[in-house]
Amino acid sequence: MVQTMLITWRETLEAALIVGILLTYLARSGQRPGLRYVWLGAVAAVMAALACAGVSGGAVSLLGPDAQELVQATILFVAVGVLSWMVVWMNRHARAIRGELQRKADRALAGGGLFGLAVVSFVAVFREGLETVLFLWGVTLQRGPGSALPLVAAGLCGAALAIATAWLFFRGFAFLSLPTFFRVTGALLLLVAAGLLASGVNKLIALDYLPPLVPQVWNSSWLVRDGSPLGAILAALIGYRSRPSLLEVLAFVAYFPPMVWALRRSTASAPAGGAARSAA
Amino acid sequence: MRFQLALGLVLAAALGLARAEEVTVPVAVHEGGFQPAELKAPSGAKVRLEVTNNTAVAIEFESFELNRERVVQPGQKVAVYLSGLAPGRYEFFDDFHPERKGILVSE
Repeated sequence: MVQTMLITWRETLEAALIVGILLTYLARSGQRPGLRYVWLGAVAAVMAALACAGVSGGAVSLLGPDAQELVQATILFVAVGVLSWMVVWMNRHARAIRGELQRKADRALAGGGLFGLAVVSFVAVFREGLETVLFLWGVTLQRGPGSALPLVAAGLCGAALAIATAWLFFRGFAFLSLPTFFRVTGALLLLVAAGLLASGVNKLIALDYLPPLVPQVWNSSWLVRDGSPLGAILAALIGYRSRPSLLEVLAFVAYFPPMVWALRRSTASAPAGGAARSAA
Repeated sequence: MRFQLALGLVLAAALGLARAEEVTVPVAVHEGGFQPAELKAPSGAKVRLEVTNNTAVAIEFESFELNRERVVQPGQKVAVYLSGLAPGRYEFFDDFHPERKGILVSE
């Protein structure tokens, strides 16, 4: 029971944290309409995960295991792309809010931003949701529908606990001032994206499409063990692994310079703060 | 200059990997656990770990020490690549059924 709960807690945590960042951000910046899109993406992802697990036998024979893994890696890279774009968009948006141009901000949100919110939330939930559904489905098949019920309930409790964990985590953010809050959520999302990028690279290495360069650059398991609660939270947030390969570390690090450049540029061209600053 | 040096190193590493011998190590998951539960692989070699799921439900082959995780559907055989392992003992388990454990010994 406890084990089932722990497994779903770990599987759901990453999705809960990413969706949590988006919801906290939107609530804090007064963008209520955006909340609906995040939920829409999350609900659609749960349904898609259920549907995929239901037809997984068919889909597997159609795609083959390696092709499926490639699709997963592709999903990760798409997630990195959409998240990066979101962070740049949010950064520009945050400046518009700081410039008290609420109406302009609303207009920005009505554009591609809403779509981006739904996509990010969909990708985050679908990825982890599929594994959770496969796991719980397996439990049901193994035990028979009747006796599996308590275990599935425990699994769902684990997912609920993950959501509670994320909620508690973001409660802490309520004490931050608005500018600090935007900076912290932005930095957090960048770390999430870099972690997803490294995870995608890890999949390609395991498929033998990329060389690890050095199989194990360091071993930090004495500090944070992968399976521990802290390890799970760090894995969800920054793709933490205690024994990463060199290529994964390089991918993680290489993500930041172009993003910092893009953020600087978007800040410079932001309508509100940028103009005010150059006038001063 | 430094870039060329780095590029050279990367190319050398890639070539080295391409030339490394490839060893296939099979392992099957049954209801009772991994079979065999102890695997052997030469250190430094490129290892193609073939994981077959002989149970009726999905499993997740996972190893913190090997930095690998992979869902395997029932009846599927999946290849997980490991290259240039240092000598040592690497534990792995089925994340969906953590009581199933095994170990890969590289020497």
